[in-house]
Amino acid sequence: MTSTPLLDREFLEKLERLAIRWQKSFAGLVGGHNRSRFPGAGQEFLDHRHFHHGDDLRAVNWRAYLRLEKLFLKMFQVEPRVPVRMLLDVSASMTAHGGDKFDYARRLAASLCYVGLVRLDAIEVHGFSNRLGHRIFSNGGRHRFPTVMDGLSALQAGGATDYLAVVREFIGTYSQRGLVIIISDFMDDGNCERALQYLSDYGHELMLLQVWADEDRTPPWTGELELRDAETGAGLKLDFDDEARQRYTRAFDEYADAIQTMAHRSGGRYAGIATSMPLENVIFGDLIRMRGIA
Amino acid sequence: MFLLNLSLLQFATLFGAVSAISVALYLLDRSRRKQVVSTLRFWVAAEQPAVAARRRRIQQPWSLVLQLASMLLLLLAIAQLRFGAIEQAGRDHVIVLDSSAWMAARSGNRTLMDAARQTARQYLRALPARDRVMLVRADALATPATAFESDRNKVEAAIQSTQPGSTALNLDQAFDFARHIQAQSGRRAGEIAFVGTGRTAERDPGAAAPPRNLRVLLVPDAVENAGLRKIGMRRSAADPDLWEIYVSAHNYGPRARQAVLSLDFGPPSAGRMAAGSRTLVLPPGGDAEASFEYRTAAAGILGVRMTPHDAFNADDQAELELPAQPRLSVTVYSNEPDLLKPALSASPRVSAAYRKPEEYRPNDPGLVILDRFIPPQRPAADSIWIDPPALGSPIPVRQTVEQVPFARWDAGHPAAAGLRARDFKLDHASVFETAPGDGRIGEVDAGPVIVARSGKPKIVVFGFHPALSALRYELATPLLFANLLRWVSPEIFRRWEVAGGSVGAVRLVLDDDTAAKDVTVTAEDGSAVPFTLRDRTLDFFSGAPGSVRVLTGDREYMYSLTLPQLWDTRWTPPADVRRGIPRFAPSLAPAADWWPWLALLGGAGLLAEWLLFGRFRIARFVSRRRLVRRTAEPVEVGR
Repeated sequence: MTSTPLLDREFLEKLERLAIRWQKSFAGLVGGHNRSRFPGAGQEFLDHRHFHHGDDLRAVNWRAYLRLEKLFLKMFQVEPRVPVRMLLDVSASMTAHGGDKFDYARRLAASLCYVGLVRLDAIEVHGFSNRLGHRIFSNGGRHRFPTVMDGLSALQAGGATDYLAVVREFIGTYSQRGLVIIISDFMDDGNCERALQYLSDYGHELMLLQVWADEDRTPPWTGELELRDAETGAGLKLDFDDEARQRYTRAFDEYADAIQTMAHRSGGRYAGIATSMPLENVIFGDLIRMRGIA
Repeated sequence: MFLLNLSLLQFATLFGAVSAISVALYLLDRSRRKQVVSTLRFWVAAEQPAVAARRRRIQQPWSLVLQLASMLLLLLAIAQLRFGAIEQAGRDHVIVLDSSAWMAARSGNRTLMDAARQTARQYLRALPARDRVMLVRADALATPATAFESDRNKVEAAIQSTQPGSTALNLDQAFDFARHIQAQSGRRAGEIAFVGTGRTAERDPGAAAPPRNLRVLLVPDAVENAGLRKIGMRRSAADPDLWEIYVSAHNYGPRARQAVLSLDFGPPSAGRMAAGSRTLVLPPGGDAEASFEYRTAAAGILGVRMTPHDAFNADDQAELELPAQPRLSVTVYSNEPDLLKPALSASPRVSAAYRKPEEYRPNDPGLVILDRFIPPQRPAADSIWIDPPALGSPIPVRQTVEQVPFARWDAGHPAAAGLRARDFKLDHASVFETAPGDGRIGEVDAGPVIVARSGKPKIVVFGFHPALSALRYELATPLLFANLLRWVSPEIFRRWEVAGGSVGAVRLVLDDDTAAKDVTVTAEDGSAVPFTLRDRTLDFFSGAPGSVRVLTGDREYMYSLTLPQLWDTRWTPPADVRRGIPRFAPSLAPAADWWPWLALLGGAGLLAEWLLFGRFRIARFVSRRRLVRRTAEPVEVGR
């Protein structure tokens, strides 16, 4: 557990007016603040349909019956409590370049948890690398936030990322569809797009938050470099100059674009976040623009 | 062509070191940098084509060559490369001006210092204008008055403001200093010109020979001087009010002299009374001593004068501060004062008053002795309680014993120092319950019967009456009382020695039993004076007139160092040394100064190298700009 809190009180107060948003409608429990296209036992009128045997008589529109002598049933919008799950990358790549990414990702996760807690949403947070890690359950209102923050602070980074294994385990664990927020640098040597697509095809709505350090996108070094992969330990020796830096940045941007395209194509959302950007600007700027929160 | 600031060897060493550092940094910069990254997938795409890598390796050695050439130019600029004959370059001279105490002596209608200043100015004006000059004032310490200066006015002002000091000339140290400072200046060494009388303190026979570039400008002096050299005073061991005074005088001249020593004494502000006089016959170059005795218990100033005066008045008179003789006032409350009178009348520094217990006053000063008597209010001063009743004893009585043999003395406590008597019995004694920190001076087997409690006020308690017990027959009794009085008021029994002498180094041989931790040396303003203590010999140095106190346990030495320190020997310069005011060759055309151009070229070379090969810096700058631009852009989301 870290000695200093991940988020300060002033910042948390600013977060209280926000709410996590999702675009798909999921069948779920009544409650919450996101409207659903499914009819059910809600408060707000949706439509009429013919009465069938066994329907609840309390929903019959008796005024229409008096006028038309036919039984019509009023249908209401369901306000479901959609399951929100958050996958936080705790692989070794998050600790490269001084560990800024890992700290930033934890603070971002804590912020979203607090937003959910204020709106009485239930959020399950999992750290992951090559499998799902310990679960941190965030529900029950804002007074439960210290427990969540302690759980996030206690997370330890390490291991190599294996998105396919993680997605397979996730689907096996959670059959109920919902919103899946993935906070990661998405830097694995495999093909994480395929795994994410698999998750989306299963019916989950994806919110991908790609966190990178400045060194990840534009390495500042020049000359002869001896590189080592933080996750796999693989090495590479190369000469690196300005031209090579441009090629590197171009490749990085293409990869980020590919993840973004995959997210949008599957009805999800994507935000690329550099750790040099203040967290407050990201929450109240990028995440609101992408309609991840409102 | 020559280097003004550095020798060729120094230049080669410096350039070698700089080159080695440059090559090492170059190789380090070009060596592979080890880095841990998040993933290698983008690096593979950024790998450098082989053609580009080969081209860069060909170009990189030129970067090193350019760096080394630029460093060479900058070093040449620092070394002040000059074209032309080396003789055209200026030289650095040092004028060692004698500022010893003897320079205050008069020679005709002016002092020796005036003559030395005039000679130094003449020498200064004879030097070529391109030369630089440093003035060093030399007495016991060599002190630079200026840096190497081209501005003659500054040096002249320093010469003019030079005044005679209080110490004798240390010529060897002055020459060493001048030689050292000349070697460090980096320019061509000029002359070391000594201006003075050459009368020095005692010289070390193993001292180095005078420098080869020495020029001697001796100031003639007529030595007809006799003066005080040392004054010593101490209180007589038999009579503490009697001062024994010892005065030593020295005749520096070649003829015998007769002089009158006169003493006077009085308070600092009021007039003084004559305290004695004596006529001395001083042999040529020899010493004569005289002894005086003067009785006083008061503090004051003792003046010593020698007449008739001569050309150097400063050593004809001295003043010493005499401390007062303090006394310890003891008040004894007893119905049988005769029992204690022998013990208290032994010391002349103790004045005892005897009163009945009914006349008790709690505010008596000094020391209070309570004989088998508990007062209604404890005394505010230090006190000795003799056989107090158990109820009211300042130290609780644990038990009472009878017919017990005395067991032991606490040899570690100052109040029991030197006490040996043990073969006696106590008919009746109280054994005390001591607290931590209490001194158990005397004990029987059941516990302490004489206890000393330090603090403020100090308390000593006897569990028996020493004059009514078997102890009264022992030699230890007066010794025990003397120890107790000394322990209670150590400042009263401190022994004083007063000495008058000349400023400079002072050596003092201490008593055998003096512990190094008990020694403190302080100036008259209370500041600590550095000293060394080897075996029993204490040495310290005082460079200015004043008084110095040396405290060693129960002994205090007061040094009134008001006499000037005069010379011991006359230095005879070697025959081959240059003398007199020189005539230098007329000024030649100055050698060409190239260092600004060399510095500019060196700087330009480094700049060019940075622009051409400083890929690391440029790349970092570019990457930082791009990074800033990227992070400032809003990220495309929510499409």
